[in-house]
Amino acid sequence: MSAMSQATPTLKATPTLSRVRYSLAPWARIAALAVCALLTLGPVIWTVATSLRTPAQSFDLPPQIIPTHPTTAAYHGVFQQIDVWLLALNSTLVTALVAVGQMITAGLAGYAFARLEFRFKKPLFGLVLATMMVPLQVTIVPVFLVLKTMGLTDTLLGLIIPAFPTAFGTFLMRQYFLGMPKDLGEAAMLDGAGTWRIFRSVYAPLATPGLAIVGVLAFNYHWNEFFRPLILETSSQNYTLPLGLVSLQGNLGTGSISVVLAGVVLSMLPAVAVFAVGQRPLREGITSAGVNR
Amino acid sequence: MTNTQVPNSQVPPVRSRPATPPVAVRPSVRDRGARLVAALFLAPTVVGIVVFTVVPIIGSVVLSLFQWNVIDPPHFVGGANYRTTFTDSTVLVSFRNTLLFMVLAVALQLLIALSLALALNGRMPVWLRSVFRSAFFFPLVLSAASISVVMKYLFNQDFGVVNWLIGLVGIAPVPWLTSEHAAMATVVLVYVWQQFGFSFLLFVGGLNNIPKEIHEAAALDGATGLRKHLGITLPLLSPTLLVATVVGIINALQVFEQPYVLTDGGPGDATRTVVMVIYERAFEQLDFGEASAVGVLLFALIMAVTALQFRLSRRFVHYQ
Amino acid sequence: MTDSHLPRRTLLRYGAYGAGAAALAGTAASWDRLTGADIPGRDDGSLVVATLGSAFDPATVEALTKGFHRLHPDIPLRVNAVQAVDWSDFFAKILTQIAAGTAPDLVYVATEGVQLFAQRLGVSLDRWVRRDAAELREYFADVHPSLVESMMYEGNLYQLPMEFNAADMYLNKQVLKRAGADFPAADWSRDDFTALLRELKRGGGSHFTPYFWTNRLWGGVVPWLFANGTNLLKESKAPGGSWLWDTFYPAADRQGRGGGFRWTTPQATTDRVEEAYDYIASLVQEDLCTRPEGGNGNNLVGVFSTGHVGVTPAGGFWAGGLQQAGMRAADYDVQYFPRWRTQRHQFGAAGYALLRTSKKQEAAWEFIKYAARKDTMTRLFRTNQTTPARRSMLNAARYAASGPAHWQVFYDTLDRFPDTGPIPAPPQVAEVTDVLLKYTGTALASPRAVGPALRRMQGDLEQAMEREV
Repeated sequence: MSAMSQATPTLKATPTLSRVRYSLAPWARIAALAVCALLTLGPVIWTVATSLRTPAQSFDLPPQIIPTHPTTAAYHGVFQQIDVWLLALNSTLVTALVAVGQMITAGLAGYAFARLEFRFKKPLFGLVLATMMVPLQVTIVPVFLVLKTMGLTDTLLGLIIPAFPTAFGTFLMRQYFLGMPKDLGEAAMLDGAGTWRIFRSVYAPLATPGLAIVGVLAFNYHWNEFFRPLILETSSQNYTLPLGLVSLQGNLGTGSISVVLAGVVLSMLPAVAVFAVGQRPLREGITSAGVNR
Repeated sequence: MTNTQVPNSQVPPVRSRPATPPVAVRPSVRDRGARLVAALFLAPTVVGIVVFTVVPIIGSVVLSLFQWNVIDPPHFVGGANYRTTFTDSTVLVSFRNTLLFMVLAVALQLLIALSLALALNGRMPVWLRSVFRSAFFFPLVLSAASISVVMKYLFNQDFGVVNWLIGLVGIAPVPWLTSEHAAMATVVLVYVWQQFGFSFLLFVGGLNNIPKEIHEAAALDGATGLRKHLGITLPLLSPTLLVATVVGIINALQVFEQPYVLTDGGPGDATRTVVMVIYERAFEQLDFGEASAVGVLLFALIMAVTALQFRLSRRFVHYQ
Repeated sequence: MTDSHLPRRTLLRYGAYGAGAAALAGTAASWDRLTGADIPGRDDGSLVVATLGSAFDPATVEALTKGFHRLHPDIPLRVNAVQAVDWSDFFAKILTQIAAGTAPDLVYVATEGVQLFAQRLGVSLDRWVRRDAAELREYFADVHPSLVESMMYEGNLYQLPMEFNAADMYLNKQVLKRAGADFPAADWSRDDFTALLRELKRGGGSHFTPYFWTNRLWGGVVPWLFANGTNLLKESKAPGGSWLWDTFYPAADRQGRGGGFRWTTPQATTDRVEEAYDYIASLVQEDLCTRPEGGNGNNLVGVFSTGHVGVTPAGGFWAGGLQQAGMRAADYDVQYFPRWRTQRHQFGAAGYALLRTSKKQEAAWEFIKYAARKDTMTRLFRTNQTTPARRSMLNAARYAASGPAHWQVFYDTLDRFPDTGPIPAPPQVAEVTDVLLKYTGTALASPRAVGPALRRMQGDLEQAMEREV
């Protein structure tokens, strides 16, 4: 980095030239990006549009993006067929507690791996990272048996507690703490602060954005999670939203497409809200995992 | 784990300073206390990982040596499950499919993400850039299972929007989900559609970290367009590329929802992936022994691929 | 990062404290939810009945529970509507519950799982049926013996059928009209069927396919195998069962009945099976029928009701779905499956299976009887989401709003074709289904693939059937 800044002065002289090079075909480039953006959002737009159409119009081609006879009947259908509020409560509880839990575990462990000295640091960190490589499907049966001995099968806690440790979050927080200047902590230590106090009053507050990233990522993943709830939750009262949506498809595919899509849209809403509010931490989270800040 | 190399090699030299505190006050007591504190910091994560990942992995290995159908007590069969695995055409095909899927999905994902990130890096109004950025990463927040349900309608050969669209430019309807060749391509497309935003963001971040001056210097030297990117941008992006590839591969090897919903592994075994086989063996046929054996093999494969990657990366990744 | 925004940071800190406190309070307040302790009837010795969730909506489940409580206030009941995408998924969840030590007492099981449950987990109902024969006489008189026989395994009865669905043919009358085609006769042949599809194809547009079907055990290839006088596995009947036939059915109905079906040797490579596949492949080649898709999430109701499809095989369960999709009774109708070598139909039925592990078997039997009562079934099957197993429940009033006009076809399928039988579902049903779906996909995915696909299907089926379940 520092080598680059030395080169700057000589280059400042020729900004016009570089601008010419950069804007070779700006309109073509922007048009291409626009087409790609449309392709990316197309399926989502179609989903929303179709959920607002009558079942009879579901398969019209060309698809009407703005429904000629918009109707919310499909949404009423969703509320009739599944207990949306209970499912949403369950999803919210699971997602929120996992997010908070992961922020705590990842914050603590990330700090330890970045700033504390202890034996087996490297192999332990390796172990944490290696768990990213373990497919959920491989361990679900033994996990199920572990939960059984803990008496947690078919409870929401059974979904929540195993999700507390997060390899990616730990990695992320470690990166975050590594990027902070060491002198802050050293200064605090000179003032007589212990490890916990240094963490709590110096580094943890600085790490809030990082923790937000962990939280948003956890929300994003666990709100949409399907496989674990499918296996672990057997009472209908313990289902999360994605599980409930399955039943909208109906027995032997007798469900209505607009109702299915209305369900998809409903379950999307909180994720979209978090996307709108937490886009920055989410983006930063993903970015900072790969790029050291 | 070698993963640690990525971040390590990028942090400023400050970090290589020894970690011992500059003022050594009663070092031995301090050390013991520090170790205890470290243990407390680590406990939630490490205990959690041991209980819910390490023990289950060992459990899987143990289970893979047994025949067990949940109802009756398990009985020891030694390596029989592995032997079955190596002679079972479905299992073998699923490994081939998964590797093929991984190569296609990761390559396509990186290509799209990199092109878009580079295009976005050019000059354009700030608001437009943030609109594009949001659009490209939006699919990431959706659920893979429900988006696959949506895609299944869109890709239907007879009534789907996709065939209607390509029909507009005169292309005959494609059996996206029902022909052996097209089905794999469709699963890759749907997967990449949802996942490319991840690599895209990585690249956007990576590009932002490359000082503008480098490009300008290159421009001065007469490097333009593709040559500039190949010669300068890519090497500087190589650490980001590595992370994108590693994460991309690990995720791709575990693909489940898309083929499960879109094709159920078909037609025939054309899109059956390893994780699907694990799921079917365990939860449809109640053969937990064989399911675990396949799981252990998949785990070994992921480890091997990742290790190989870091081997290669040592030679090809440039750090600033 | 490091330049300080003290006010903001303080704010953040209080925000974090607030969030932490809220999380703690929330956790404490919802502790019962988190541990599932608030679920009525959980771990309190209630009779637990597991049903397939997608079949019953919450209101129906509540009606079922309330009705039972009025009859047996002393037996606490919990109905657990298990969410699953299909029957095999449902059975997997039940087995998971058994593994977890939280097995239900009763499980709603379809033909797909009758023998699996009977052999491994179920209790035969024989002794209770004998004991309460007088009470049950009215039920059996109302239920076709073919349905009852499909619930028998090796001479014993394991379930009382509640509902069934035979694969008849649904036709979109708008599509017929568009093509100027006539509604087929009850004894139409396979060739009539082909001719009709061709006619519809000529009259249809570009996004129209005459015949649509789904690749699954029920209603996929199997109806064609039955029509061609064959089956995927060699079919025979177990001895026994006369105790039931002699008690409840007149001599005419006892004819040829046994103690349930046996499906043994795979016969995927026999001429008749190959012929059936060749026929479907020819329809695919001619663009008269869709290639079968795998996986869930099909929306057959949608494409049929909007006239993108002309003909499809389905049972009584479709009438309700079509009505929900906005189809009027006059817009469609139903006819028997066409005749090939035979006009034998296939069906699937469902009822409650009693688990061996249940400690409340007497109470469970009371529930089975309650569920089989006509008033209970009437409450349960209000929306024509299936065909009730009781003949008397099929009447003009039931189908007045939803259609079809020929609703008699649903039950008459059993009378008119007395050899009509259940889909092949031996205890190894999970593997058999996987193999069938897989190679059906391969056989129809490309031209001239039928022969090789069936040979491999045969090999895999043999392997599957050898497996001890």
